[in-house]
Amino acid sequence: MSEKELLKGNIAIAASALNSGCECYFGYPITPQTEIGEYLSYEMQKRNLAYVCAESEIAAINMALGAASTGAKVMTSSSSCAVSLMQEAISYACCDELPIVIVNVMRAGPGQGYIYPSQGDYNQSTKGGGNGDYQVIVLSPSSVQECVDLTSRAFYLAQKYRNPVILLADGMLGQMAEPAIIDCNKYEEIDNSSWRLDGAKNRPAREIHSLEPSQLKLNQHILNLKKKYDLIENSEVDYEEYMTDDADIIITAFGTMGRCAKEVVNHYRMQGVKMGLFRPITLYPFPLIRLRELSYRVKTFIDIEMNLGQMLKDVQLAILSNASVAFVGKPVGDWLKKEEMIEAIDNIIKEQYAGIR
Amino acid sequence: MQVYAKPKSIKENSSFTFCSGCDHGLALKLVASVIDELDIQQDTIAVASSGCSVFLYNFLEVDCIESPHGRACAVATGVKRAHKARNNDKIVFTYQGDGDFASIGLGESIHSALRGENITAICINNTNYGMTGGQLGPTTAMGQITTTSPTGRNREYHGFPIKTAEHIALCEGTAFSARVALYDIKNIYNAKNMIKKAFEYQKKGLGFSFVEILSSCPTNWKLSPSDSHKKIKEELTKVYPLKVFKDVLNG
Ligand SMILES: Cc1ncc(C[n+]2csc(CCOP(=O)(O)OP(=O)(O)O)c2C)c(N)n1
Ligand code: SF4
Ligand SMILES: [Mg+2]
Repeated sequence: MSEKELLKGNIAIAASALNSGCECYFGYPITPQTEIGEYLSYEMQKRNLAYVCAESEIAAINMALGAASTGAKVMTSSSSCAVSLMQEAISYACCDELPIVIVNVMRAGPGQGYIYPSQGDYNQSTKGGGNGDYQVIVLSPSSVQECVDLTSRAFYLAQKYRNPVILLADGMLGQMAEPAIIDCNKYEEIDNSSWRLDGAKNRPAREIHSLEPSQLKLNQHILNLKKKYDLIENSEVDYEEYMTDDADIIITAFGTMGRCAKEVVNHYRMQGVKMGLFRPITLYPFPLIRLRELSYRVKTFIDIEMNLGQMLKDVQLAILSNASVAFVGKPVGDWLKKEEMIEAIDNIIKEQYAGIR
Repeated sequence: MQVYAKPKSIKENSSFTFCSGCDHGLALKLVASVIDELDIQQDTIAVASSGCSVFLYNFLEVDCIESPHGRACAVATGVKRAHKARNNDKIVFTYQGDGDFASIGLGESIHSALRGENITAICINNTNYGMTGGQLGPTTAMGQITTTSPTGRNREYHGFPIKTAEHIALCEGTAFSARVALYDIKNIYNAKNMIKKAFEYQKKGLGFSFVEILSSCPTNWKLSPSDSHKKIKEELTKVYPLKVFKDVLNG
């Protein structure tokens, strides 16, 4: 520990989970995240921690639900089509206010799609793939080091807000090796003695449930959850800005795409174009206010994603000025190459500034 | 008429909200008195399921989490394992309907038994989905009329019902599996003894313990409580024999 090692994204997530105090892991194999479960099977057994090779993702997330009710630090990991199977229990966990860390190392979809990396689960993660009014906190790493750091933060935020947190990585990041440091966990412990289920000793029995036949109570509970989400939106927004201070054009991109887009910014800066990058790190809460501020002095936003434009809608929502918003993306296949992005952006610039020149 | 003292593990000032004459109430009372007798109320965590028993936590004075429909054994696995990881051995049990345990949740149920998960599952077999109004379920007997088998369960349309306790007994991780009924005093005493055994086996760490309780659903069967018990005694026990199917401590 505390030394730089060459780590694969998946291993970085698993090792960081252990370092962040993960006590329970439940999972079912799916490429491209299987190494997380493989790594933890050995490491957790060695430490007498809870590890179950669940019979399905439905079982895995429900085991996580039960384990979280005891106040334990709990994680499950999976990928796209299999995360779809977890949506019912994620909705329950939000309603029950149970802290669960869910890692989604995205692959291409819809359906089984394939193991190509993709960013197609932005909507499912941030807008909720399950039923009802709820929000999951969504963190988006763009490097192996961020896989480490955001896994720690995921455990902390889950406990702090008693809410599920999704770490939304992608197959590229999961499989890529980079030097990273697993440092000591910098987050404080959250006291959960007031709500966890550990037996009704010297106190009345507690219950954790979502079913609520009283219309008044159900309404109030959902409004209370909304207050919590408002607090999260006011306190936990995080993003990276790269050369945005004087930028006329800003690229918006998240996760691995965010890091690729940096290269594109460098390319245009070399040519004297004032370009910058805005990379949301928290996809929920989305950094809407900061983006809105930027929009008053930026002429053009170019949103780049490995999907058909899912975060694009949030970017458009943030912008109230006359700044235009263009989109570059593709859903599957090779990761967008630098040259492809540059070609697309050249065309956008040509169109946008044709009238001015 | 037999008068039961209210078990300590039943919440004060609570009264059951089941239909009158429903066996759910009696079954829960038996579970509560077993919890009292084993003195485990402070160390027990119950997992409620979706079905008529969903309000378990309104009746039992033990910590309780409600599970999504069918997932009770998975939720219980998580509760049990998480406590074990902290060196706390808690008593964890599920209280499920037949639809919950043996239809939508069969995968979770069987795999918990196969893992020898050290939990207890109580399954109320009333041969239908009671809460949603009595539709055909996994345990609906051949010929039985329900709202979705208006001319009776038949092989052509519906296939066959599952004999849950027998299937659970086949799993190597199962320590105890029995089917009981509540139609007379003798059977009620026996049911209580079986439930107690199931909890004792968990205490001893022997593996998965299971009790299927053949129960009445007078409302959806459209029978009086006493005719419902008569149906269980005369018809259902022929399809679902009352028996201990597996007991690791007694052959
Ligand atoms: C995923 C899901 N599907 C369907 C339902 C609706 N539902 C609630 S309880 C129930 C059936 C319960 O039957 P059983 O488990 O036999 O319990 P009983 O009410 O008979 O005691 C159904 C279908 C639900 N709540 N969740
Ligand atoms: S519907 Fe049937 S199982 Fe449900 S409470 Fe009424 S009698 Fe009991
Ligand atoms: Mg039923």
